[in-house]
Amino acid sequence: MAEGFDIDHLAKLARLNLTAEEKVLYSSQLNQILGHFQALAKADLPATIDLARVVSESALRSDEPGPVLGAETVTRLAPASRDGQISVPRVVDDEA
Amino acid sequence: MDEPLHTLSAAELGRRLAAGPLTSRALCEALIVRYHAVNKKVGAFTHLDEGDVLAQADASDVRRKAGQGRGPLEGVPVAIKDNIAVKGQPLTCSSQMLASLVSPYDAHVSDRLRAAGAILYGRLNMDEFAMGSSTENSAIQKTFNPWDLACIPGGSSGGSAAALAAGLVPLALGSDTGGSIRQPASHCGVVGLKPTYGLISRFGLVAFASSLDQIGPMARSVEDCELLLCALASADARDMTCFAAADRALTPAGDAKKLRIGIPKGFLGKGVGVEVAAAVTAAIEFYRSQGCAISEVELPSADLAVPTYYVVATAEASSNLGRYDGVRYGHRSATAGTPVEMMTTSRSEGFGAEVKRRILLGTFVLSAGYADAYYMRALRARSKIRAEYLAALATVDVLLTPTVPTPAFKVGEKAADPLQLYLEDIFTIPANLAGLPAISLPCGKSGHLPVGFHLVGAPLSEAKLLAAGRLFEAAHGFAHQQAAL
Repeated sequence: MAEGFDIDHLAKLARLNLTAEEKVLYSSQLNQILGHFQALAKADLPATIDLARVVSESALRSDEPGPVLGAETVTRLAPASRDGQISVPRVVDDEA
Repeated sequence: MDEPLHTLSAAELGRRLAAGPLTSRALCEALIVRYHAVNKKVGAFTHLDEGDVLAQADASDVRRKAGQGRGPLEGVPVAIKDNIAVKGQPLTCSSQMLASLVSPYDAHVSDRLRAAGAILYGRLNMDEFAMGSSTENSAIQKTFNPWDLACIPGGSSGGSAAALAAGLVPLALGSDTGGSIRQPASHCGVVGLKPTYGLISRFGLVAFASSLDQIGPMARSVEDCELLLCALASADARDMTCFAAADRALTPAGDAKKLRIGIPKGFLGKGVGVEVAAAVTAAIEFYRSQGCAISEVELPSADLAVPTYYVVATAEASSNLGRYDGVRYGHRSATAGTPVEMMTTSRSEGFGAEVKRRILLGTFVLSAGYADAYYMRALRARSKIRAEYLAALATVDVLLTPTVPTPAFKVGEKAADPLQLYLEDIFTIPANLAGLPAISLPCGKSGHLPVGFHLVGAPLSEAKLLAAGRLFEAAHGFAHQQAAL
């Protein structure tokens, strides 16, 4: 069983507001699920992580400018915008 | 020539379109009539832009008349799960968070379908952000299994599987993070393939768990599934996990009657329904009768797959879904105060219960003091599972199991028990953890509900899986089965 499970702390980290009922429900469900995860704690596991790709990785592409969406499209998608920019609540206080 | 168009395979439709006089407009008009007659019962589509569909069909007909047809999918409709971007169409992921989002760009697979001449046909329902196994987690609507409307179609690509089984469309795209193509394919009696990790670009797929997510084809026949796979798979520099052109050659199929088939020890026992076990055993005996070598293989860490998956997938999801903060796109709460309050309230209003549950779980397994015990151990377990699968696949060509332990359950039956739902994926998850290709094929019924079996192969062995499927299909004729509605 997971010790020290703190639903309020988790909700804060996850940027979620939970109602009192949700806290009770999620605490119970997460404890049940984490109990199932205890199979991992008991398992004999390799010391190293080997998730190497199955085919050689040719990952890096050249750093060249590609097509962009453009300011008009981006601000149209945004919940709020003004003068071609995305607007958000005030971030910096007047006194700061 | 008198069969209704909605009963025909994509390959047959492509042949008739090429030969004439069938036009893509006539085909799409017939499917739109079918949509109006059936979709309300099944709930597979969340959106169909009829004007756009008919405009694409007309353009296809013009191309074909001019001798500029683009191949076997020219003029054939393909429906798309609502987490894959199509320019100008909704991209909701069946979430309130993205309820008003219209995609400003095409996914790589959408580009590929347009290049193949296919018609991008409507948006398919899914579990919110692909998190679920029943499509009950959609914030838009429920989807019902066409074989029994009281039952779930599976998930998260439940809309895709239900649309195929209901004859609403001949081809569909799904995405698969832990079984989300194969489990609904099994429950709805259709074919679903999750390709090798890296075979199909995820550019334009809304991310859930990036080390596991794959887009894949779904169809009513193996031939159709292969047609769609061939159209989708190509190199794409916009997804750095997508194989470069030089690395993507598939292993040749070989003679399906000479396949070495491994049956993982214990996989037909505990928790598997009697009729599911009988149907899958019959499939094994069919392959034996064809000359395939059947042997038992050991996968000793198989029991670790579900906990490993739910640690890795939720950890990645909690990170990927951090981007939904109400700032750049998606839902923003009207009650926003400070920036942090805006983000927190927007997320709390926009996400549904299962998404919140997984974000909380993923946040926990990554949090200070717990990451070593959960996330890092899960990565080590994943390494072990992958090594065991690769070792087994060095001795056999494919592994055969049921796709799902039991047939589709009633709507609402498991809604209050997330752990029971997570166990739906017990046979499908290892292929995602190990990056392996896997296919679900129909192999009978449990009562009136379809049962599927599951083949997993070595990396890039899709041609072998499809050849095995064709052999089975030729003898069992499931390609023409469709639910009566």
